[in-house]
Amino acid sequence: MGSRASTLLREEEIEEIKKETGFSHSQITRLYSRFTSLDKGENGTLSREDFQRIPELAINPLGDRIINAFFPEGEDQVNFRGFMRTLAHFRPIEDNEKSRNPTASEPLNSRTNKLLFAFRLYDLDRDDKISRDELLQVLRMMVGVNISDEQLGSIADRTIQEADTNGDSSISFNEFIKVLEKVDVEQKMSIRFLH
Amino acid sequence: MLVSEEARRRTKNRRAKPQRKAKRVSDDEEDDEDEDEAPRKRGRKKKARPRDSDEDEEEDKRSVKGKGLKASRRKAAKDESDEDSEEERDKKKKGGRATSKKEKEEQNKEKKGGNGKERESKGGEKDKKKKNGNSSSSSSEDDEDSLSEGEIAALKEQVEEKKKLIATLRNKPWRMKRRLVMLKEAQEFVEKFEGALGKGKGRKLYAYKVMMTKKLIKFKRDFENFKTACIPWERKIKEVESHFGSSVASYFIFLRWMYGLNLVLFGFMFGLVVLPEALMGLPYGSIARKTVPRAEQDSAMDFSVLFDFGGYCKYSFLFYGYYNNERTIGLLQFRLPLSYLLVGVGIFGYSLMVVIRTMARNANEGGDGGDEGEFTFSWKMFTSWDYLIGNPETADNKYASITTSFKESIVDEQENQKDENIHLRRFLRVLANVMILCCLGGSGYLIYFVVKRSQEFAEMDNDDLSWFEKNELEFVMSLLGLVCPPLFETIAELEDYHPRIALKWQLGRIFALFLGNLYTFLFALFDEVTAKLEREQSIKNATEWALNQYYANYSSFYNTTNVPPPDVHPADVIRGPCWETGVGIEFVKLIVSDVQVSYLTILIGDFLRAVIVRFLNYCWCWDLEAGFPSYGEFDISGNVLGLVFNQGMIWMGAFYAPGLVGLNVLRLLTSMYYQCWAVMACNVPHERVFKASRSNNFYMGLLLLVLFLSLLPVVYTIMTLPPSFDCGPFSGQEKMYDVVMETIDQDLPAFIGNIFTYATNPGLIMPAVLLMVLAIYYLNTVSKGYQQANLDLKRKMQMARDEEKNRRNNKDSTNEVMKDLEDLLPNKSLIPPPVEEEPPPGVNLQKEVSLAAPNPRGPVTRAPVARGRPPGNPRGPQPGPGRGRGRGAPPRY
Repeated sequence: MGSRASTLLREEEIEEIKKETGFSHSQITRLYSRFTSLDKGENGTLSREDFQRIPELAINPLGDRIINAFFPEGEDQVNFRGFMRTLAHFRPIEDNEKSRNPTASEPLNSRTNKLLFAFRLYDLDRDDKISRDELLQVLRMMVGVNISDEQLGSIADRTIQEADTNGDSSISFNEFIKVLEKVDVEQKMSIRFLH
Repeated sequence: MLVSEEARRRTKNRRAKPQRKAKRVSDDEEDDEDEDEAPRKRGRKKKARPRDSDEDEEEDKRSVKGKGLKASRRKAAKDESDEDSEEERDKKKKGGRATSKKEKEEQNKEKKGGNGKERESKGGEKDKKKKNGNSSSSSSEDDEDSLSEGEIAALKEQVEEKKKLIATLRNKPWRMKRRLVMLKEAQEFVEKFEGALGKGKGRKLYAYKVMMTKKLIKFKRDFENFKTACIPWERKIKEVESHFGSSVASYFIFLRWMYGLNLVLFGFMFGLVVLPEALMGLPYGSIARKTVPRAEQDSAMDFSVLFDFGGYCKYSFLFYGYYNNERTIGLLQFRLPLSYLLVGVGIFGYSLMVVIRTMARNANEGGDGGDEGEFTFSWKMFTSWDYLIGNPETADNKYASITTSFKESIVDEQENQKDENIHLRRFLRVLANVMILCCLGGSGYLIYFVVKRSQEFAEMDNDDLSWFEKNELEFVMSLLGLVCPPLFETIAELEDYHPRIALKWQLGRIFALFLGNLYTFLFALFDEVTAKLEREQSIKNATEWALNQYYANYSSFYNTTNVPPPDVHPADVIRGPCWETGVGIEFVKLIVSDVQVSYLTILIGDFLRAVIVRFLNYCWCWDLEAGFPSYGEFDISGNVLGLVFNQGMIWMGAFYAPGLVGLNVLRLLTSMYYQCWAVMACNVPHERVFKASRSNNFYMGLLLLVLFLSLLPVVYTIMTLPPSFDCGPFSGQEKMYDVVMETIDQDLPAFIGNIFTYATNPGLIMPAVLLMVLAIYYLNTVSKGYQQANLDLKRKMQMARDEEKNRRNNKDSTNEVMKDLEDLLPNKSLIPPPVEEEPPPGVNLQKEVSLAAPNPRGPVTRAPVARGRPPGNPRGPQPGPGRGRGRGAPPRY
């Protein structure tokens, strides 16, 4: 299967993806075979339904948001390049990448980009701010009907109160970073892709 | 692991292919060594590499912790070497003595360094080839594209070069350090790729070793999973935890811990006492203590008698009286009486040790977490979902647990924000305490009264008493245990504590209640024992008198001094009351009635109630589920204390009834399943769920107290009361501990006996006690010192964090020039404290103002020329620009 996939994928394409995402050659081909197995329509792109077939995403309260993250704004198909670009956020940070050329543009799997990815999950309207309403929506997805709306509201308020430093009663990306300062994002937002 | 399976197959194919030709290098000796070492190195590297799979993410998740550790260790090592080599390069550049050869070396070094990124920047093409070459032989990594001849040749060349370097390194005009570094790197490179390129044996060996490493890794992972799966009831407890919160789960964890402890105790008791006696001792019916007396034989098999642990039960190995006082039994010359005593005491010793050790460990774990509460809600909000959950049922649990944890936080939050009428609250609390004290006093008196009555009953004939009268004591105690806790809980509502504190109060009160019960029970028991002792004394005298009569009569009748022992059937021998067995029976009865009551309570109070509420709700005037009866809540305090006191009974009773421990193991096992089921099936979560740590030292503290209290009576009886003369392993001794003395005297060499005599001398004991007191005092002081140090360190850490924040803020405000200047400054620690700069108005100054040392990244106030170079050593090594341990920017030349 792997070798077939690699024949479908052109070399230069692989090179480009490699440069962009930092995946190794074999990882790319492997992920490509995964991509094609997800692609039920067999048209080289994935639709939302394709993603929803993954059980982990199907039962995840934020599954829809994650799936959304794969799609560029306004589109409902994603090709392999886009697929890889999103997945690159979850590539573990390798040690030799840590101290290397800080002048170069940040790789997709840097801490900031990982956090930005997470931030976008909550930022439903993409205005770079998590507002109270957005929090409430996410909360409702996460706890369902077990907690009253009033309590949910107070939770959202508390969350914002904790994180908000500039008093605009919403959470900006910087504030988000500060909140998750002590979380080991590099470790937690990493998937061990096969090499 | 489908992937790797497939890959392995493929590699096998490849290995079968004719091997590519590759020149062998001249120095064979070195070669071999390299080949040997290569796979090992490689294997190590592999191990360190993050385990690769996107198929089995779940497994990965489980072992994330260990992996993280590994990764960080590897990272540290890597960083070190990176830094070294960087430094090296800098030095070299600075030295400016780089010959063309050296340059080539350097290139090589960069190429091979093992740092993918670097290699990529140097020449992506080559890098790729190398990788392919590497993995094609490493048996499963890259298997799509095979090596081309050219690639192999290139790689070959490099290896060759390295080897040459190694051979000629001795002659190079470099510094020793550099030479060593070069040598190491070159060797590593050769090791890595030599095996991959080698022919025949080397290559096969290499592939084999790689495969084995992989297998080993997989095995380790599986083993970890297996270990997790082996933790008993972990899933059950997790399930309960997710629905009912950590407080309820803490009870079950405690129960599990208790089960483990009891299993060990059971092992001791059963293996060293019960089993030897059952296997090697005299069989049932051989002597009087192992036979049911004639008078009781008719009813010995009746259920009611057996249920009261009379009849055959009473004369079985379950109880003290059954054991024989023969010094040694069986082929092994097993000293049963000694073993009995030592196990009886050893159970306490072991329990004490385990409890204290667990407490110490918990104290270590639970130390932090105090100031973690900075962003509780945000963290819960952003990080609580586990993205690897793929199973709907698990997802349900996760939903429940997120909800629960939110509820817990809400409760905590409400508690913090509560403002109150302090006087009213105080008054109510005092009132509540007075009421509870009254309850405690009353119940204490009731128990005392009942005990007295039961003593009167005991003197009356057994047949005249009704069932109730016979079991009055147990009945009253169980009733008190049933009624008082809810009463206390109701009263405690006046106090309006936070549920966590309320639970502790509740525990303390019920503890006092049970303690009162326990001690009145014990005193009653002692009364009984003294009464029995008196009776026994008279029986003993009578027996001795009868025996003397018999001997006298026999010798006078047959006119011989050789008198055979009286020929009486063991069932007909006159015997004493055997107070130890009596005590044992009391304990066993208490435990059994306790089990009955608690199980029935669950069945009726929880299950029946739940059934009624659930099904009668269809045809009832009001909403039963939301209204009055509702479903039961899980009673944490009652259950925990029940467990603790149950254990106390076991500890006390185990000496008199060796079978009690086995009984308890059964009880704990069943109650684990039963209660897990009951709580999931019939209870609803508490209205105010609160957070409890998984390892609750409060429970352990109670347990320790109970352990100590139950130690007292047992030791008292061992040391002071005379054992029964005709039953039990110590019969015939003055005191129970005489067994030890006897062993010391007879079986151990004389000098040990002497040592013991000296050791028991008051002149030695007093200093020993004094020494211990001093030791306690010293350790206490030391631990206080450590605590203080801990606090200080914590504060320092907080300061450092604040400082970091400040620095970041300031950095934003400092202009670019300043930053550049800073970068040029190599050794920042030598800068004098900079002048505090004015923060520009736009910056949001944090509320946390740093108290620590001034900001090291502050603006520069001194020219970066004369850095503290020691005056006496002008030619000393110049600290290069990159020396600040990676703090400055890389040198740009």
